[in-house]
Amino acid sequence: MKYMIMMFGSAAGMMETQPPDWIREMIGFMQNLDVELRNSGEMVFNAGLADGSTAKVVSLVEGLPVTTDGPFGESKESLVGYWVLDVADEARIIEIAGQIVQYARQVEVRQVMDAPPEV
Amino acid sequence: MSSNTAVEGLLRELAPQALGALARRHGQFDACEDAVQEALLAAALQWPKDGVPESPVAWLLTVAERRLTDEWRSESARRRREENVALLDAAGSEPVAWGDDTLTLLFLCCHPALSAPSQLALTLRAVGGLTTAEIASAFLVPEATMAQRISRAKQTIKASGIPFALPPPAERGGRLRVVLQVLYLIFNEGYTDLLRTELATEAVRLTRLLHGLLPEEGEVTGLLALMLLTDARRAARLGDDGMLVPLAEQRRDRWDAAQIAEGVELLERALGAAPTGPYQLQAAIAALHDEAPTAAETDWPQILALYWVLERVMPNPIVTLNRAVAVAMVEGPRAGLQLLETVAGAESLAQTHRVDAVRGHLLELAGDLDAARECYRRAARMTTSVLEQRYLALRAASL
Repeated sequence: MKYMIMMFGSAAGMMETQPPDWIREMIGFMQNLDVELRNSGEMVFNAGLADGSTAKVVSLVEGLPVTTDGPFGESKESLVGYWVLDVADEARIIEIAGQIVQYARQVEVRQVMDAPPEV
Repeated sequence: MSSNTAVEGLLRELAPQALGALARRHGQFDACEDAVQEALLAAALQWPKDGVPESPVAWLLTVAERRLTDEWRSESARRRREENVALLDAAGSEPVAWGDDTLTLLFLCCHPALSAPSQLALTLRAVGGLTTAEIASAFLVPEATMAQRISRAKQTIKASGIPFALPPPAERGGRLRVVLQVLYLIFNEGYTDLLRTELATEAVRLTRLLHGLLPEEGEVTGLLALMLLTDARRAARLGDDGMLVPLAEQRRDRWDAAQIAEGVELLERALGAAPTGPYQLQAAIAALHDEAPTAAETDWPQILALYWVLERVMPNPIVTLNRAVAVAMVEGPRAGLQLLETVAGAESLAQTHRVDAVRGHLLELAGDLDAARECYRRAARMTTSVLEQRYLALRAASL
């Protein structure tokens, strides 16, 4: 079963409020997690996103696309990074999300729609 | 080395020779490229089992030409008869001018009509002999995406009727600059991302090949030296904790001394002969860093002088930003900051973290820690490299 884990907040922003030891610990955790998920064959792909303050928002205004700079300087709604993982069951994905949330304010887990059609 | 790895290395070397010879005989670069890829695949399966044939290029050519004729047979019987005659004449007897062919291939893959991503991909496949899957994994895109990119690049070459021939002498200098740029981009892809170092190795191999073909071109030699002198520090760039280590704090005993020696020797040869271009100057700066026994013994006045020359040969804000660091080391951080502010507003730097990262470093040297912290934090928000973001955030937190 494939799931996406989404991590919200601001990576740079979070590191601004934490002491160096916490930052080192977080970096070590993220590196080990990547290695572990790759070795277990569960990693499909993952990526970190550039800071939300650099985002562009494209919206439809009177039928025309309009681009504005993202208002996500500190917003908790800003996506920081994501993992797409292929795991045995929901319990496993919740276990992984439970590790990640130690270093993030909040993570969201969603199943990827790749089930075969029911005939 | 396992026989599989040995065969793989050999095939990468032979790929441009086979493709060059085939494309020269038949034109039709795109069809020839497909045929050679199939021949390489067949060899990768067969050679580790049966051993490498006595004349490996001829083997590849025979298989590729069979593949070509099969395709043409289904296209047109008339054409097949003509080609078969040509094949009989050509097979085996022809002296293979593989050097010229490889050079022609490189110029073709780096044709200005192609986009930069296409140039990189096509060069790695046609000249580097990498499979589409290998290239896709190196650029972190799905294989189908990379296959499509390569196929479109070949269509562009076909549609624009670019001949399989060396560019005319009048265009050669400009075209060579594009080739060097493509090779440098491949190197940087591998060097800036520590998970993809294979690309840096591949770029060095291809540049070495080009240097062998054009030993008198000073900038080719300069680029090869620059890559070797930069890549020599690879093992020291990452600490045991996985953090980026800045040049001044790197363990110099981890640098690759043999690679540095080779780079320096190449550079000296180039500087003595050719007119001095930007790659040679950048290599000379890298050499001064590499040759310093400790960071404190770095010859900054000489580096500053070289940046000054580089700025005249290749004026751009990033060179000035680097010169600002050298100025800071020679004349003090405030002088460096002053120079930095002259390019801080440059358009090419506005969307990057570079100005703030350097500004933070110089402010830290000047003892203005509050301002330095702010700069590091801004830079951490601007960078698109996870490794740099972690480094900058930690730097800010440690002040």
